[in-house]
Amino acid sequence: MRKFFSKMNTWSFLALCIILFLVGPNITIIEGLFTPENENWAHIKEYILADFIRASFLLVFFTGILTIVLGTSLAWLIAQYDFPLRSFYKWALILPLSIPPFIAAYTYHGILNYTGVVQTTLRNKLDVKVNAAYFDIMNMPGAIFIYTMVLFPYVYTIVRVFLSQQSATLIESARMLGKGPFKIFFQVVVPISRAAIVGGASLVILEVLNDYGVVKYFGIQTFSTAIFQTWFALGDIDSSLKLAASLMGFVIIILILEKVLRGRKQFSYASTKIRPLKLVTLRGGKAGFATFYCTIIFSLSFLIPVIQLIDWFILTFGHIPFQDFFIYVKNSTIVAAISATIIIVFALIVGNFNRLFQGRITKVLTRLSILGYSIPGAVIAVAIVTAFIQLDEWLTPLYVKLGLDSTLVLSVSLVMLITAYLVRFFAIGFNSIEAGYEKIGTNFRDASRLLGSGITKTFFKVDVPMMKGAIISGFILVFIDIMKEIPLTLILRPFNFDTLATKAFQYASDEKIMEASQASLFIIVISAIAIFIFNKLLEKEPS
Amino acid sequence: MKKLFAFLVLSTLLLLAACGDSSSKTQKDSEEKTDSSKEVSKEESKEVNLYTSRHYDVDDALYKEFEKETGIKVNVIKGEPDELLERIKREGDATKADLFLTADVARLFRAKEDGLLQAVSSDTLSKQVPEKFQDTDQMWYGLTKRARVIVYNKETVKPEELSTYEALTEAQWKNRVLIRGAENVYNQSLLASFIEINGEEKAKEWASGLVANFARDPEGGDRDQAKAITAGIGDVAIMNTYYYGQMLNSTDAEEVKVAESLGVFFPNQDTTGTHVNISGAGVINTSKNKENAVKLLEYLSAPAAQTVFAETNFEYPVNPEAASSELLKSWGEFKEQDIPLSTLGDHNSKAVMIFNEVGWK
Repeated sequence: MRKFFSKMNTWSFLALCIILFLVGPNITIIEGLFTPENENWAHIKEYILADFIRASFLLVFFTGILTIVLGTSLAWLIAQYDFPLRSFYKWALILPLSIPPFIAAYTYHGILNYTGVVQTTLRNKLDVKVNAAYFDIMNMPGAIFIYTMVLFPYVYTIVRVFLSQQSATLIESARMLGKGPFKIFFQVVVPISRAAIVGGASLVILEVLNDYGVVKYFGIQTFSTAIFQTWFALGDIDSSLKLAASLMGFVIIILILEKVLRGRKQFSYASTKIRPLKLVTLRGGKAGFATFYCTIIFSLSFLIPVIQLIDWFILTFGHIPFQDFFIYVKNSTIVAAISATIIIVFALIVGNFNRLFQGRITKVLTRLSILGYSIPGAVIAVAIVTAFIQLDEWLTPLYVKLGLDSTLVLSVSLVMLITAYLVRFFAIGFNSIEAGYEKIGTNFRDASRLLGSGITKTFFKVDVPMMKGAIISGFILVFIDIMKEIPLTLILRPFNFDTLATKAFQYASDEKIMEASQASLFIIVISAIAIFIFNKLLEKEPS
Repeated sequence: MKKLFAFLVLSTLLLLAACGDSSSKTQKDSEEKTDSSKEVSKEESKEVNLYTSRHYDVDDALYKEFEKETGIKVNVIKGEPDELLERIKREGDATKADLFLTADVARLFRAKEDGLLQAVSSDTLSKQVPEKFQDTDQMWYGLTKRARVIVYNKETVKPEELSTYEALTEAQWKNRVLIRGAENVYNQSLLASFIEINGEEKAKEWASGLVANFARDPEGGDRDQAKAITAGIGDVAIMNTYYYGQMLNSTDAEEVKVAESLGVFFPNQDTTGTHVNISGAGVINTSKNKENAVKLLEYLSAPAAQTVFAETNFEYPVNPEAASSELLKSWGEFKEQDIPLSTLGDHNSKAVMIFNEVGWK
């Protein structure tokens, strides 16, 4: 027993260090809640608060519902049925995730606006006069559409991995009992994958609450536009931190709701045989419908914007400097890969701690560690800069000893940017890993422990191999998210350090969406390759 | 088991170290660079650190040209202006920033207010940048100008119908006016100029009058307003000349068509003049490469660079010696608002509040 605890303490010590590291920077923001109200705050309350709460709620609510519907139904189709093009769509439906939301927004607007391909074709080729207002997507429904299209893969990926590895026995039993597909879907699939669905949807919601590019461009006032408006236009960082802190309050409520919705039910392996679900082959009209459904969603979310981007790429090729793109590619991939690796290692440690210590404090602590995902990037950035400058101040004597000429070392290095990524995106990695831990449960671990293996050996021999799927999908999600990240990279990067995303953003924000297509396509291609490779790796998995 | 655990801890640490190392290596590299440059700096340092919110390719090209001519390396961090300011503020005395460059006077004003800039006196600069486009304390200098004009549908609007920004609030423009959202700093500065010229009450009246005449809720950027005219959603739009120039020279033939169907009108010619704003820069008060920063400012405001700005980015030069581009000339001479530009920064917050109060989204 004592041996058990001494081992556990090292694990938990590590986990606690990580949590502290991730939560630390957020404390600056929580402080914001306690600063006294000033006149700007009164102004915000009077004129804009109601509007942006309403807008944020509408966005989150409808995007949440739609991504759940799309994500879950697609995951179920792919996990259970075989139909033409299934093996392609299995991984291709993750691809929309590689398109940064602001790029999707600019691209769709580019397609649909007055000079876009749709209206010009109607006007010039078909001589049809249309009311341009019908094609306007710069509004609430338009924003919901954009977010749904680029974010549903969060739900899709998590639910699909869950269904394909876990549900075989249950679903096959249901089949044998003569249940039809819809009954199976609503009575078996949805209830058992509730945790995965809610997990995916909560990522979607946090992403929507945080995004700034789309709503700013579309002129929709949300929490995040209000935070920036207060900070930048009113020059009042205190009030904007207050808003950020209230946003965090909302997120905490969402996270608690998530836990409640997941319920206490845990579905983990009951037998040692983990086998994939046997696919039911669809024929005729049903097969056609399944392929059609996947094709429509894939086209809207990925194919159409990408074709438009390729068109612009060709149109602008040679008009902007291209020789530096190799450097941007290198910068983007290296930083994303390093950060994603660290996040997954951290998530494994914290997740294991969370699983083994089933206490309330543990739960609260681990929830806190993913709060970074709820805070607008620019606000995290300021918190991180402050922390690093403090760190540099403490380390100044060391720098002087080493003979460095500057007292800013860490805060002008990539370490700062990577740290910010860890704080911001830990939630994404952790969500996958946590779902993985939940899936494997503790039975096997207990067995291994009973047979005399230590906690660490068990971790490597039993837990990690069973979680390969979760590890890989977590890594891809984080990698892609960092590839397309904007506010943090803009503010925290070292001198002369550009990434594909910063390049795309700069062109887009100058209303040069056509020129932005080059960097955007690179982001999409690299992310697509990552998705493809990891999908291959996953398929090789015996599970 | 212990070994395995040690392995886990080690691998994590290694990973951290690896990332720390790789960056600390580049760090070291750059340290070495600054180190060596420091030694040189007893005579002269060879770099300048620039924080800029302008991200045009033409700027990069000019920096490269500057490097070639002077041998001074320009290190750049690009970002949104307020975020860069916040970063400089937080970095405090130790900041590496030498020069802050941005595309709106309101932010230069804020940088000065926050005590981030220092006064620079240079004969070359005083000669190249007219007094009107300098800070009164010489804390910042303008580098390019943009005029915020009215563009109109040539088919439905006669230029004679247009006169002033104020006239756009009249009943005949109901449901015909297009302009982008209130969060946009160009609009904030426009309203700030009215606060300065006409007073707060009048400015607020104007804003609410314009909202009443909106053809639709503000959305998109300046180019989108131009397109909305051609699409028949509205008849007049307030936009920057610089975007209009971009559209005329777009790689997309449809955009060119849109621009060609529009006319440019410089408002308030008989009264207070057309609103102009600047891109400009100021030297950071803790700058360690002040001389180089000033050199860069002098270079960017010299006729050669000014002409490049005009020809590739369609911004008006501030330097009266610089040749403007053919396109800019074709729009004709115009009378500018005659107010010290720093007042735009002074009234910025008030302008934002007015926008919120009158429901300008």
